[in-house]
Amino acid sequence: MATSAVPAMNRVTGWRAVGRYGLLIALSALVLFPIYTTVIAAFKPADKVLDNRLVPDSFTLDIFRDAWTEGRLGRFLLNSLVVAVVVTVAQVITSVLSAYSFSLIEFPGRNVLFLLFLATLLVPLEATLVVNRQTIDSLGWLNSYQGLAVPFLATAFGTFLMRQVFLTLPRDMRDAATIDGVGHLGFLRHVAVPLVRPTIGALALFSFLSTWNMYLWPTLVTTEEDFGTVQSGLKLLKSRALDTPNLVIAGTVIAAIPIFLVLLIFQRQLVRGLTAGAVKG
Amino acid sequence: MNTMRQQHQRRGWQVRAGVLVAGALVAVACSSGESILDAGLPPPDTVPVPPTAGPDGSVATTIPATTTTTPLADLPPCPIEALEEASGTVELTFWHGMNNELEDALTELTNEYNAGQDKVRVTLQNQGGYNETIDKYFQSGPGGRPEIVQMPEYMVQQTADSDSTVPIGACFEGTGFDDSAFLPRALNAYQTGGVQWSMPFNVSNPILYYNKKIFEDAGLDPEKPPQTLTELRQYSKKIVDSGAARFGIAFDTGQDNGGGWFLEQWFSKGKELFADNANGRSAPATQVMYNNDFGVELLTEVQSLVADGLAVNVGANPSGQDSFLKLADQENPAAMTIGTSAALGTIKVVLDGGLIPGLTSDQFGIGPMPGPDEQPGVLVGGASLHIVADQGDAEAAASWDYIQHLVTAEAQSFWASKTGYVPVRTDALDLQPLKKTYRDDPRFKVAYDQLTASSDDPSSSGPVIGPLREIRAVNSDAVSAIFGGADVAATLEEAAAQSNRLIRNYNARN
Amino acid sequence: MLAPSAVILGTFIIYPLIRAIWLGRQRCNPQGKNCDTTGWGQYTDVWRSEEFQQAIWVTIKFTLIVVPLGVALGVGLAVLADKYLGGIGVFRAIFSSTVATSVAVASLMWFFLLEPSLGVVANIGWINDLFPVVKEPGLLNDPGTALGSVALSSVWAGLGFTFILVTAGLQGIPADLHEAATIDGAGGTRRFWNVTLPLLGPTLLFVVVVLTTRAFQAYGEMDLLTSGGPAPQDSTTTVTYLVYGDTSEVRSDGGLQATTAVWLFVVLMGLALVQLRGLGRRVHYGN
Repeated sequence: MATSAVPAMNRVTGWRAVGRYGLLIALSALVLFPIYTTVIAAFKPADKVLDNRLVPDSFTLDIFRDAWTEGRLGRFLLNSLVVAVVVTVAQVITSVLSAYSFSLIEFPGRNVLFLLFLATLLVPLEATLVVNRQTIDSLGWLNSYQGLAVPFLATAFGTFLMRQVFLTLPRDMRDAATIDGVGHLGFLRHVAVPLVRPTIGALALFSFLSTWNMYLWPTLVTTEEDFGTVQSGLKLLKSRALDTPNLVIAGTVIAAIPIFLVLLIFQRQLVRGLTAGAVKG
Repeated sequence: MNTMRQQHQRRGWQVRAGVLVAGALVAVACSSGESILDAGLPPPDTVPVPPTAGPDGSVATTIPATTTTTPLADLPPCPIEALEEASGTVELTFWHGMNNELEDALTELTNEYNAGQDKVRVTLQNQGGYNETIDKYFQSGPGGRPEIVQMPEYMVQQTADSDSTVPIGACFEGTGFDDSAFLPRALNAYQTGGVQWSMPFNVSNPILYYNKKIFEDAGLDPEKPPQTLTELRQYSKKIVDSGAARFGIAFDTGQDNGGGWFLEQWFSKGKELFADNANGRSAPATQVMYNNDFGVELLTEVQSLVADGLAVNVGANPSGQDSFLKLADQENPAAMTIGTSAALGTIKVVLDGGLIPGLTSDQFGIGPMPGPDEQPGVLVGGASLHIVADQGDAEAAASWDYIQHLVTAEAQSFWASKTGYVPVRTDALDLQPLKKTYRDDPRFKVAYDQLTASSDDPSSSGPVIGPLREIRAVNSDAVSAIFGGADVAATLEEAAAQSNRLIRNYNARN
Repeated sequence: MLAPSAVILGTFIIYPLIRAIWLGRQRCNPQGKNCDTTGWGQYTDVWRSEEFQQAIWVTIKFTLIVVPLGVALGVGLAVLADKYLGGIGVFRAIFSSTVATSVAVASLMWFFLLEPSLGVVANIGWINDLFPVVKEPGLLNDPGTALGSVALSSVWAGLGFTFILVTAGLQGIPADLHEAATIDGAGGTRRFWNVTLPLLGPTLLFVVVVLTTRAFQAYGEMDLLTSGGPAPQDSTTTVTYLVYGDTSEVRSDGGLQATTAVWLFVVLMGLALVQLRGLGRRVHYGN
């Protein structure tokens, strides 16, 4: 972050700095409170989970083991990861391919088709879920990675995003490549894609996050725990664990960790990824 | 340039579409005051109400013979011999809604079955609860369905009408299954149209959970829980007045608890029919009857408990745990609550594990469900096992084999002592571990005693209504409004009218 | 090259939408069979029904809490953490942190905070004394506070997102503009209203669009925190929850569910058109 370029008068000193620190610390405490209480509850021994002490007097890691084995968090994480990775890779590929067609290839009906693509952006997931569930059922894909992933392998939003950057590529570049006898796929692979890598990164991060966070769809198309994702797994855990609230709490913590790591690693793409996603939401 | 113009045109189109949509929405934006459930249906007054037996008291005195008998021959057969002929292991999937200790016990029974033979292998799939199980089952086509599904008692008619299951009665006939030791009431609960549709497996009923220590603090005898609603009021008043606890009793409005199920139970305890045609058992029900004087009086009494600060309403409580948590509340606890006997095993384990600070498992007592009068007697709750049709003959036969394993005297003895369910057969009481459990911990036997004490009045067989699940949702809202202070008679009237429209729509479509 | 996208979008967006519009003219039995067509009137009936109107109203109220509060908090925190102070990175990390929570994670965290009998907040003595509703009947169980509480968890979960975007937006504001304003004698507050906020415009528009869309589609919060309740007003039954919720009356009739889902689509489409118009300029001249 561009702190080195901060102008002199933005520097806060003296009592005003103290006041500001105080305010920042207070607000941080508020923001962190739900996370803090959840994390400490997860570390409390089973018989102290509900004692509501804000400063626990003993710690244990037992419950994380239980959440992993009994709560099957490991399996859910794996499923979420598989689905999110498959969807992300596929969305990037299909978006690049269709965006390329819409920007650098002339064909009759291109604009109408593109408008039709854009129109699908207006259809919320919620309006199509019922019929999609039937489709997945009739394909025999309930409880499968196909069922979880296939409806999301392409996205008009990604197509739109990639088309926007492809349009910025100079036309001559493609023309020169054609003269050199480079085909569309060759041009894409060696010229276009390397040039738009940052946008691809942003799209990938956005796809990954939104697939990982999907809540309603996985609960609709899975009836077997083996194919539950983290989100549907947490719902199941909540309804099942009256006798072990700490299991749910630990599960919540475990479920949040991977995405936290992903965001740490991809910090630099984060703003772009979120901004890219903002177009669709 | 070209793209610029297109952008402009597109935006023009957007504006027009936006205006159009907004206009259309405004045009219809006034509320009709009708329920969404009536959408697309003709207005109620244009449909003649079919003649019914009516609430005039023309009620038989014994369980009536069903008049709408469907011959078993017309229903999917139970191919019991197909298991012998099957080659290799038959794989079965069983969708259930058992959580906590219930799931553990079911897993143990199933592991035992899988280990005991090599012809069939059953895989349990917990759907999270009854609601999820029902939704997923009816949303799925034959390919997405399991071989065995657990359905609660209020789904009898709907499951039967779905033509998607093998009536277990056909298997009874085929194997000459000996059901003489079974509680007739448990079997009866899962019959409609003269057909035994499913096998009762986990039979529960509502019982009173109470905190003995609070009873003592209030100067009440901790071994004598209240038997009637009148006593419940006296006890609660004593508890609240003495300061022993903030509330006498915690009620909820969940449709599988205080908002729906208890209402049916209270009607049975009052020997009142919940729906016409002997609770839908002599002919398909055409209307509900809970808006009668009995219903109004009953709910007025319950409402006054809340209004007087003696009871607390913990809300819709979809997981069924909120009213129990109110007993464990550190600051404003309630001394009692009514809940399913199926929670008994889990609660015992939770308290033994020290999860709730300051509450041990010896501290809570169990009493029968307090009702409108001294009568014991409750309806069968819980769930049963259905064999799903069209999954293959060997699978159906294997399902039958597994189901029989779950209802042996030994299995039910283990099941009941672990969970708090009532065993579906009397000979389970003579076997360990239930024999010991009932002797050493009489709390487990309360549910059994009150169920077997029920009379032979037709009202002792619960309502069989196609849309009973939907009606419970309507009732849950009504009870919730009543707890909130709404006029009892008017609220019940409205709920009953809504329920009757649901019934009419259902009957027209099945 | 278009085929993969076209097939997927056609099969899983366009076809189901058309089919849903068709199914929305039918009523079915709870087993999903014996559907019969009642006609297009079913759409007007549903729109005008008490439950749908109530759900629309709840959705709007929810959005009106989540969006302004979310934006105000996000901007406030970002401006506060924009000043040069040692260790500001730590605060930025903290304020960004909720971006890592999914709706299920965030909702469960808030569930364990707000549950009235055993929840953390409900058992802090002074909060109880000040706000008895936290305990009786509980923030999530009281018709007056349930929606606000769910919205609060939503605001919290969305805070990281807003904070990150606004922080990035702030860094895009040239420092000399602030300097110039200071030389002209503008104090901190005036600089914020006259310089910072207008220049944040595009970012804020962005954030508002995303938060609005999310709020209109919110489901997980209601599912995990309130199940659409408390009854009988169904205080947190939004349109999405009305279509899919575990306790919704609509769910057991495939036809009625389709009607309601299509209305949800129309409402969201109306919203999206308004937003696209707002965003149009940005999309057009951006990049």
